[in-house]
Amino acid sequence: MKKLLIVLIFSSFVSSELVLEITQGTDDPYRVAILPFKGDKKLSSDIENIVINNLKRSGEFTVFIAADLLSVPKNEEEIVFNDFRILNIDYLVLGNINNGDVFYEVYDIKKGLKIRSSTVFGIPNKIRQLAHYVTDGIYEEITGIKGIAATKILYVTQSDKYSLVVADSDGENEQILLESSEPIISPSWSPDSKKVAYVSFETGMAKVFIQNIATGEREVVVENSSQISSPAWSPDGRFLSLTLYQDGNAEIYILNLSNKNLTRLTNHYSIDTESTWSPKGSKIMFTSGRSGSPQLYELDLRKSNSKPKRITFDGNYNAKGSYLPDNQGIIFVHRSSTNFQIALKYFNENFIRPLTVSQMDESPSISPNGNVIVYSIKDGETGLLAGVTLSGAKFRLPSNRGSVREPSWSGFLR
Amino acid sequence: MFSKLSINFLFVIFFLVSCSSMNVTEETMYSGDVKTVQASSVNNENISYDSKAMFANATVYFDFDKTNLTSKSLQTLKSVANALNDNPDLDVVLAGHADERGTREYNLALGQRRAEAVSDYLVLNGIKKDRITVKSFGEERPISLGQDEESYSKNRRVEIN
Repeated sequence: MKKLLIVLIFSSFVSSELVLEITQGTDDPYRVAILPFKGDKKLSSDIENIVINNLKRSGEFTVFIAADLLSVPKNEEEIVFNDFRILNIDYLVLGNINNGDVFYEVYDIKKGLKIRSSTVFGIPNKIRQLAHYVTDGIYEEITGIKGIAATKILYVTQSDKYSLVVADSDGENEQILLESSEPIISPSWSPDSKKVAYVSFETGMAKVFIQNIATGEREVVVENSSQISSPAWSPDGRFLSLTLYQDGNAEIYILNLSNKNLTRLTNHYSIDTESTWSPKGSKIMFTSGRSGSPQLYELDLRKSNSKPKRITFDGNYNAKGSYLPDNQGIIFVHRSSTNFQIALKYFNENFIRPLTVSQMDESPSISPNGNVIVYSIKDGETGLLAGVTLSGAKFRLPSNRGSVREPSWSGFLR
Repeated sequence: MFSKLSINFLFVIFFLVSCSSMNVTEETMYSGDVKTVQASSVNNENISYDSKAMFANATVYFDFDKTNLTSKSLQTLKSVANALNDNPDLDVVLAGHADERGTREYNLALGQRRAEAVSDYLVLNGIKKDRITVKSFGEERPISLGQDEESYSKNRRVEIN
């Protein structure tokens, strides 16, 4: 994987427009020329802009547009590969738009070959989605890794009321799943990305709900008189791990969603919460206060009577962990002195890697391809979403809906 | 308000390998539409307990990341316990809160432990457990919005109603 040397240039925050803290310098990002798509001018320019922003946000691309080039071919026959080789461009993308469908081609400049020819059939009024599909095709062809432009992000906003919102991976196209006068916290996706689980205080007390995204159907997952929180789906979608307070203290349980049976996992007088599943579902990681400060622990579900094993030792606050999709490490909220940062720890390393530098970074959620983490930051009293790639590139996501927090990344939707 | 929209995961990809190992793909998009739901909230705050007037705004405060009762809190709670003992028909709701530092779920649990600490004190002083409702709002309902210790200390609390 290409490595980036990071130079951050901060641009000012403009509402409803993606703010990139652009990475440049680089060892070598992929150098790609994106030419204007033929067809409807407005449509073409909209799609081109979205594709370019998506590629830049990944931190893995330097994008060239027509004005940067020595020649601007309109079709395959007009390509002069040497004009691109002189500029050290690795790939060229040509495309056209016809009746709402996009046809595009990717050329390998060094080899002088067409390496991809793709069609995305559009549906009316889904231009952004169309551009995300095109981005993912280009991204996959060049990097060999599945793209995340066409995935979604779920989060909570607070203005005069609380909203549970789903948006495109670039923060645009916001759609509301739930509105409430009471707090909503801890949203998460089912593995098939058709349902969400979250905690709502609408009954006067924290309760876990599951909601079908398309139909709006929702239910309280466990009926009892105490509060329930912190839902996390098992990778196969059959179980939900939860924090129940019926024992007078926060304890982690597993709920079988088909027969509603509850199995208790933890039994300790200190706080146990924020459970999450390993990618294959064999382990549960959670936050516990049993050592005197919040730290991350792991339970092996394959062994009966498995004892929680502490896995974080650096810093006085390590919480809200999640596994990398390839199970090579974890991301979590880390505090060593006073600042809360997002940190990464690989299992084969004995140190942690802080990924962010603000004071109140929280709620990290990793993209399904494992390349990008979205998290919440504080800007004064307002919450915003930000992203960081594992290679260090950073960006912010816009929202017009007041204070934003608790992002959760969907699975692959394409 | 319930529009008929659905997510269509219509998703077809044909990979045809040509002689030059070029990828040829075709795919159809899914719509990704959603339905919006309005939560109808049961606003417990507006239920007027008789006890409310008696303990109006009785609140006890806690140190950072701590759940133990301070000596000042114990004084407040002593009079709450006395009032409850004098009025055996009254029930009490204990709502725990945390400041905004740290994760939301951990703070929810912290608020709960603070409310449980108050509950334990009341039970030790003769109040039956079934008269007490314990819950937490974590960091979701701050009293003071500043990002300094003065604000934080006002938010680490248990409200007794």
